[in-house]
Amino acid sequence: MIDAATLAQMNGEYVMPPDAGPAWRAAAEYGFDMSLIEDALRMTPEQRLEQHQRALDLVLEVKEAGEHYAAK
Amino acid sequence: MPQNDKALLSRLKEQNVEFVIIGGVCGVLHGASLVTLDLDICCRFNRENLRRIEAAVKDLHPRHRLTVNKMPFELTDQLCNTLKNFYLNTDLGILDCLGEVSGIGGFEEVLQHSIPHNLSYGEFRMLNMDALIASKSATGREKDLAAIKLFLAIKERRDQQKEMF
Repeated sequence: MIDAATLAQMNGEYVMPPDAGPAWRAAAEYGFDMSLIEDALRMTPEQRLEQHQRALDLVLEVKEAGEHYAAK
Repeated sequence: MPQNDKALLSRLKEQNVEFVIIGGVCGVLHGASLVTLDLDICCRFNRENLRRIEAAVKDLHPRHRLTVNKMPFELTDQLCNTLKNFYLNTDLGILDCLGEVSGIGGFEEVLQHSIPHNLSYGEFRMLNMDALIASKSATGREKDLAAIKLFLAIKERRDQQKEMF
């Protein structure tokens, strides 16, 4: 039996860390996915840059596909 | 147009360019979940250093991306003395080189507000978090103001972790 809180988290609800300060809360409330930041802070700077490169490659690939589609 | 920050940084390093990583890539290195489409650096604007940048990108078909005719990036002594910034398109992506950073100052001030980071392909300097926040605040742009919220959260978390140890 899955409780309501777990179900909400499965559906994307972010659980604020108990020690979250006002800036962390403000960023979360603004709409940033702070779970991504938690993941990033566990990485080394080099791993962050590599992850960024992969995201950037994807963004550019989608952009190019969109331009290709629009040109048709 | 691909954007390969690692390759651009490696080339700058190979040529011993004096620079500090600023802008979005600096934010990424600090842990922000942003996607940025260019590599911004602040560099010493003297002839020797500009020639090093030229050597780093010369086989990448560099062009001044903001000029109407996308002029080739070809330095002359006169240009070395007059350029304050340049914005390049290269075969490895965009490289924006600034002589000063809003909210911080010129290269020397930027250097003072930078921290070293070791990547597998060399040691690089990037703005410290306070300076990154100051530089983004100085622009007043909406997208930068949003990024500041993220930077403040990361700074707060780091400060909390420092207090724990």
